[in-house]
Amino acid sequence: MMRWKSSLLAAAFAMSGTSAAMFAQSPPGTGLTAKAAAPIDLTGYWVSVVTEDWRYRMLTAPKGDYYSIPLTPEARKVADTWDAARDVAQGKQCMAYGAPAIMRQPSRVQVAWDSENALKVEIDAGKQIRIFAFGAPRQSAGEPTMQGSSIAQWQSPQITRFYTSKISAQDPDTPGFRGQTPAGSAPPDTRKLGGTLKVVTTHLKPGYLRNNGVPYSANAVLTEYYDIHQDAGQEYMVITSIVEDPQYLYVPWVVSNQFRREPDGSKWKLHDCELILSSK
Amino acid sequence: MTIWLLRVSLPLILVLLAIPAIGQDDFAGEWAPLFHEDNPERLPGPELGDYMGIPINEAARLRGDSYDADRISVVTEYQCRPHGGDYSLRGLSNMRIDSIFDPVTQNLIAIHTRMNFQEMERTIWLDGRPHPSAMAPHTFQGFSTATWDGNMLNVYTTHLKESYLRRNGLPRSAKATFREHWVRHGNYLTVITAITDPAFLTETMVRSQTWILDPNQRLGRDICEYGPEVPAPRGVVPAHLPGANPFLHEVANWYGLPYEATRGGAETLYPEYQSRMPKADTHPEKCERYCDCGNTGLGCNLTPTKR
Repeated sequence: MMRWKSSLLAAAFAMSGTSAAMFAQSPPGTGLTAKAAAPIDLTGYWVSVVTEDWRYRMLTAPKGDYYSIPLTPEARKVADTWDAARDVAQGKQCMAYGAPAIMRQPSRVQVAWDSENALKVEIDAGKQIRIFAFGAPRQSAGEPTMQGSSIAQWQSPQITRFYTSKISAQDPDTPGFRGQTPAGSAPPDTRKLGGTLKVVTTHLKPGYLRNNGVPYSANAVLTEYYDIHQDAGQEYMVITSIVEDPQYLYVPWVVSNQFRREPDGSKWKLHDCELILSSK
Repeated sequence: MTIWLLRVSLPLILVLLAIPAIGQDDFAGEWAPLFHEDNPERLPGPELGDYMGIPINEAARLRGDSYDADRISVVTEYQCRPHGGDYSLRGLSNMRIDSIFDPVTQNLIAIHTRMNFQEMERTIWLDGRPHPSAMAPHTFQGFSTATWDGNMLNVYTTHLKESYLRRNGLPRSAKATFREHWVRHGNYLTVITAITDPAFLTETMVRSQTWILDPNQRLGRDICEYGPEVPAPRGVVPAHLPGANPFLHEVANWYGLPYEATRGGAETLYPEYQSRMPKADTHPEKCERYCDCGNTGLGCNLTPTKR
């Protein structure tokens, strides 16, 4: 069973793949762990910068408000039955804190290496923890969970070129190329060369894409791309998030979430899941 | 020996230079915007007085409060105005991207974008040229240069004409500059826009937009014709004097939001504002307005709301 689940996750990863070469624990031939090979440094504290979908993220929208999300008729029926008081009574305040929605919650996030080949992402809002395992998912068997099973890979254009074309890998004019890899040598050292973290999450418990009961199913697959950039002396992390769920979504739901790096964890504050309503 | 080496190596070098780049850094193609965030703001248009999620200062708020939507119908000069370069990737438009190569070296020297809304054209230079002097003309698209950092294209734009942060009168000044970060993941393109405006923003405003590759898309013409749509005496610019705009509370009332939160500002962008935010007087039981914008691709089904 476990092997079957792992295969399913690997297949999901492959199907959602891109043209970029990806590597799990390390680029072949380097002997590096995922931590040592990291082309970008995501570790540290980050805070959500809520400049989009503000009223859906900072507050709980009324029932039936599901704009911007390409829902199927079945999903609309489910969303129309949402009842905030019932969720609270049944202890379901965390339904919008599962992996497909948690990074949209206004929050502070702590990213750290849990091992040489796994990143731990801890979110203060709702006290949630995600594990991004390079190579094989940590939890691919047993009951589905809110955060599901995540498999991670680094993506780097230098590695793409090294493994796809020896000729283009030598071309110093290739955009983004900084590897300076002579022919026949070891793969380029990708550390801090720039790149992306790709994470695919499956094996999810059903939950909400939005606080007001917009559903995703147990078959949902979440693909995320983590990128970092600098602006005005600040470092930002942007997560492009793609939720595929044929049961409830006509087409994949794609959003991107901004986080700004914080100097320390002084503002990081664990708190329970909550439904924040706008009225008294 | 030297001549022989040249004869052998020169063709090889030329062949190597002609090999196209392989990887995920090629943005050329037809792209369709995904409106899975802020759909009504970006398609039909934002509500008056909705400043949520924008780190504006008091001057921007005053300008926004003075805005009257009739302005576009009365003042013909506003009618065919294109979006500013910082807004165009966020607005209602499909996009074609062309890569421009130096014909001799085959180096990528520029990226050219065309948006079908108002036929906006923009060139992002990658050939290392400097930005023009401060006295050079300002345009709606501005002057853009870019460099690569790994798989990310970092763009810097100056020389902008005044435009808007949101299409409800929130201004963006001609003193603003913006940086963009373009990154492609398979068939998705994410563009992060970071606007710095000493006149109207208290901190850099960072937003992001995602596009999907649509190889079958073909951009047509978008020819704008202007003409007076609402009768008004010549020279009139519809506006509200300070404190006299009767529509500013609508967005809060319609959506059951605390009025203070709709006024925007940097302090409202961060998680701690959730606990500081005042409560609204009412919260609608059920959505009544713009409930399914973008839900089916068939429009927003806006039911007229009583004023």
